[in-house]
Amino acid sequence: MIHLQQVSVVYPNGTRALSNVDLHIERGEFAFITGASGSGKSTLLALVYRDIAPTEGKVIVDGQDIAKLPPRRVPYLRRKVSVVFQDFRLLPDKTIWENVGFALDVLGASRREKHHKVPLTLELVGLSSKAEDYPRELSAGEQQRVCIARSLVNMPPVLLADEPTGNLDPDMSWEIVQLLADIAGQGTTVVMATHDKRIVDRMGRRVVQLVQGMMVRDAKEGGRYDAP
Amino acid sequence: MRLNTIEFLLQQSWEGVVRNGLVSLAAVANIAVALVVLGAIVLTGVNLQHMASLQAEAAVITVDLEDEADTAEIQAALLGRQQVKEAKFVGKDESLLKWAERIGLELPEPDPDRRVKLITELLGGNPLPDSLCVKPVDPQDIPAIAAEAKKIPGVAEVRYGEQVTEKLLTLARGTKISGLVMGLIMGAATLLIIGTTIRLTIYARRREIRIMQLVGATNWFIRIPFLLEGVFQGLAGALIAIIILLPAYSYAQGYIDRNLEFINLVYSTEVLAIFAFGLVACGLVFGAAGSALSLRRYLRVV
Repeated sequence: MIHLQQVSVVYPNGTRALSNVDLHIERGEFAFITGASGSGKSTLLALVYRDIAPTEGKVIVDGQDIAKLPPRRVPYLRRKVSVVFQDFRLLPDKTIWENVGFALDVLGASRREKHHKVPLTLELVGLSSKAEDYPRELSAGEQQRVCIARSLVNMPPVLLADEPTGNLDPDMSWEIVQLLADIAGQGTTVVMATHDKRIVDRMGRRVVQLVQGMMVRDAKEGGRYDAP
Repeated sequence: MRLNTIEFLLQQSWEGVVRNGLVSLAAVANIAVALVVLGAIVLTGVNLQHMASLQAEAAVITVDLEDEADTAEIQAALLGRQQVKEAKFVGKDESLLKWAERIGLELPEPDPDRRVKLITELLGGNPLPDSLCVKPVDPQDIPAIAAEAKKIPGVAEVRYGEQVTEKLLTLARGTKISGLVMGLIMGAATLLIIGTTIRLTIYARRREIRIMQLVGATNWFIRIPFLLEGVFQGLAGALIAIIILLPAYSYAQGYIDRNLEFINLVYSTEVLAIFAFGLVACGLVFGAAGSALSLRRYLRVV
């Protein structure tokens, strides 16, 4: 599903964010990207949703090399690759229902389609009862679930999560990660960047570790946060 | 475009206007002020132009003829030129009467023929020549026509209000040019103001734009609500400008009619309708162009 081949990213200011990364993630897989702040986790995800282009190498998503994707094609890639952030990024003056429906609005979905998909997605993340609430009335964990619902509502094959538990307490974090694992279980490819050691160890899934932009470890099933 | 998409976009733009109420209000006020100034310049220009052309229209060339000249031939030669609209024969007696009137000669005779006779006797002969009163198609051509007329055999002298005509023509040209320059400057200023306002709006809604980009909205889809918002603002500004300008103009017209009779302001409903339509069109174009300019910078993707 996601293939990075010899990818390097050098920012305009000369910072080398990634060096010669080779990474292959299959359809329906759940993978952690770990590493300290500034190790290149966010850059790696940004490559996949084409917020940045690689300086060198290929980024293939769903069979398409997106390294040289023209800007006007980027929106269509984003419909296949959705992203969840640490800071939720919900619209404060829209209800939960509207926030989730917003992702369908911008794709020109019909009212009927919205009324079918939004409740379904809210149910999936366990927020059916909060549909008419506003983001500020929800706990941080609930807000993150709204954000996940918004990412899932148009059923993208890839879901990226950049430190989705960064603002959450351990219990909430665990719930969110469980939710993401469930989503992966239904066939969506999920890649989560994190530096939450407890979660990574408890999940025991694939772990890709970055140190200063270099991929130093790729532990398949049963991965731990620290190298054994 | 699908109907629900159109509905969504319209709703988004309207929400934008309402939600950013104060900023929107500032934008509308700015556009209104700019359009009032622009409109005032245009109205002043139109009126100066109008007055200049009224004066210039009255401008004629007087071609004095020699005593033995073939009047018909000279008339034909003048009318043969494209720049000449009219070449009317004015007999020496007629000229004499006009001259007498102009200097305020008081004569007891009411009959024109006898008056002429009386004046001729008084002066011991009529010193004035027969002449042709030549009207140009375009007052700009007066000097050229005059120069040509001098060359025709049988023409004694060519006269026209050289200084006055040329000054008026210069004024008319100057008004056109300075109006255009002022208009351009005001136009650019208006564009900047709208651009800045839309940039503020975009800044206020940058989160929303970012989210739209992340969930796969095309750039056009993101742009349209802002463009429409600019158009709404332009339209509102134009309406306010019209509401201010037209009554003010009508008031000024009434005042000038009463107090400065020699000035004739343009007051045809047609001209003012075109003017109002022009203001609305300016508002729309400025609104759309201003937002398009600031959007271009903001929505650039990698």
